[in-house]
Amino acid sequence: MPVEVALSERIEAFLAELKRGGSGAGTLRGSGETARETTALLRRITGQAQWSSAGDLMEIIRKEGRRMMATQPSETTVGNMVRRVLKIIREEYARLRGSSEVTDQQESLHQLLTSGGLSEENFGQHFKDLRANVIEAINELLTELEATTDHIAMQALEHIHSNEVIMTIGRSRTVEAFLKDAALKRKFHVIVAECAPFCQGHEMATSLSEAGIETTVIADAAIFAVMSRVNKVIIGTQTVLANGGLRAVNGTHTLALAARHHSTPLIVCAPMFKLSPQFHNEEDTFHKFVSPHEVLPFTEGEILSKVNVYCPVFDYVPPELITLFISNIGGNAPSYTYRLMSELYHPEDHEL
Amino acid sequence: LFRQTYLQMYFRTQISQDPDVASAAAAIRSLLEFLKRDQSETLLGLRENLTEAIRRLGEADSSVAVSSGGELFLRFITLTSLEHLDFSQSKNLLVERGELFLNKISLSRNKVAKLCHTFIKDGAKILTHSSSRVVLKVLENAAADKKRFSVYVTESQPDSAGKLMAEKLRRLNIPVTVILDAAVGYIMEKVNLVIVGAEGVVESGGIINKIGTYQLAVCSKAHNKPFYVVAESFKFVRLFPLNQQDVPAQFKYKADILKTAEDLDKEHPMIDYTPPSLITLLFTDLGVLTPSAVSDELIKIYL
Repeated sequence: MPVEVALSERIEAFLAELKRGGSGAGTLRGSGETARETTALLRRITGQAQWSSAGDLMEIIRKEGRRMMATQPSETTVGNMVRRVLKIIREEYARLRGSSEVTDQQESLHQLLTSGGLSEENFGQHFKDLRANVIEAINELLTELEATTDHIAMQALEHIHSNEVIMTIGRSRTVEAFLKDAALKRKFHVIVAECAPFCQGHEMATSLSEAGIETTVIADAAIFAVMSRVNKVIIGTQTVLANGGLRAVNGTHTLALAARHHSTPLIVCAPMFKLSPQFHNEEDTFHKFVSPHEVLPFTEGEILSKVNVYCPVFDYVPPELITLFISNIGGNAPSYTYRLMSELYHPEDHEL
Repeated sequence: LFRQTYLQMYFRTQISQDPDVASAAAAIRSLLEFLKRDQSETLLGLRENLTEAIRRLGEADSSVAVSSGGELFLRFITLTSLEHLDFSQSKNLLVERGELFLNKISLSRNKVAKLCHTFIKDGAKILTHSSSRVVLKVLENAAADKKRFSVYVTESQPDSAGKLMAEKLRRLNIPVTVILDAAVGYIMEKVNLVIVGAEGVVESGGIINKIGTYQLAVCSKAHNKPFYVVAESFKFVRLFPLNQQDVPAQFKYKADILKTAEDLDKEHPMIDYTPPSLITLLFTDLGVLTPSAVSDELIKIYL
């Protein structure tokens, strides 16, 4: 099914921006914006592309989704949104068919026993309402995406109490909103680890102090030393993995270990669109290395030929080190991640 | 009574004809045969006969896998929606469903292997315990994917099953070393990951497997190595042992010892229980699960 010229131009423009925007830990756009733009683009594809059945639409979306993911593999929100939309299509199709297959589609021991015949859903039936229904459902998804940061920030008062010392690392828009919301009613102190070499912590500290929060910036090496004074650690993350672990900015694993050593609770503020069905075994796509210029500038001269310099962007944090996930749907333990995943994505879409 | 001994014979021939088949699958096939030949007139009678047959099978092979296979088959009988009022029609439907079920579970080992082999990286050193057909399939898939890795297998006394595993791996051209059961702690610093099979997966997300698995798990936790379990979903069993003593005696010892032994406390158990806190991930045909997800799957079937 061909995709219109104007539509493909838009897709190309989006891909180009993805490629450019992914340099360095200081992404030019937050992952929330990426998620919203991806969803809007998928809605446009649904509306404008030529397709006659749900199966065709899913094929188109998968194809475009694969292209988008290949452009910037470390930006997992793109893939997550594609999977959400695929699930929406499946649900709308099942609803139009009138079957209660929505719950039966999951692979389970129960399904193994009760279903007669291999369930080969080919999604071939044509429904004229499908296009409108899917677009409406995607609009709901977009509304949800716009409100995520607010929903997370609303829960701040339950977790932050007066005169507490909170530690965070780098810059996360979600954590920023979270802390600012609590600051409206409570007085507390924030320590920000600067998170070298991009030092996003500095911007975070400036922004927080403008909101009237007492902030201190520390070097990454001082994390362990200061940890004994800290009541809670609240961080953001780039991705939440399928086992409940994190792919977060480099330095987070150190922070998590220090917190575990002092038995300080580690709270992760992550909206649902960051939940990804991947595991950290995928070598090629898990880590991202950027220009080592930030670590050892090219102006150093002679020494550069004798030394290997790396600048990794991400860290893996295992689920055992995390106490709580706060997302737009509430607070969850890391061991519950599998359940949230089964509600958001269909198992067949894990591998696009 | 004649029928019952025939059942055990059928089960044994299944195992001997196809050594690669999972014992639970063989048990289910035997029960299906039994179902076909059963003479009862009502569903209740059928169910009673099946319960008796499962008990008899347990006498032939007292492992957890056979018990879980039998339990699942019984569950399957009760879950099938029978709209037909005529009993013989219902029975035909049951037999048909049974065949379908058997087909599905014969594919499950391949599904597990497909999921797991991506976790084996190039140059990895893998440690495994005793002989497991599922682990063998996983390693076979990884080797077919042109990955280079080497395997350490524990000897696994008292039946030296590890040596059999090593033979099978050598035939696949995978470099393998057999180590003493006691050498697990010694070798742990060299390995990158541990993969074991399971005879049964319990409700807590823990596993029941050949004796020595618990030791292996404790050691790998101490060294921070990932401990992966590969098991098909029909091995999920409705047990919740709180410690090693809690595992029922019928699973711990071989069937003939259960009959002849005077004091079970003096016998060596063949299996042990590994708690979920020591397991990193479980690879099943239902997907990659964390131990906490297992009880959810079990609830879904035993609703």
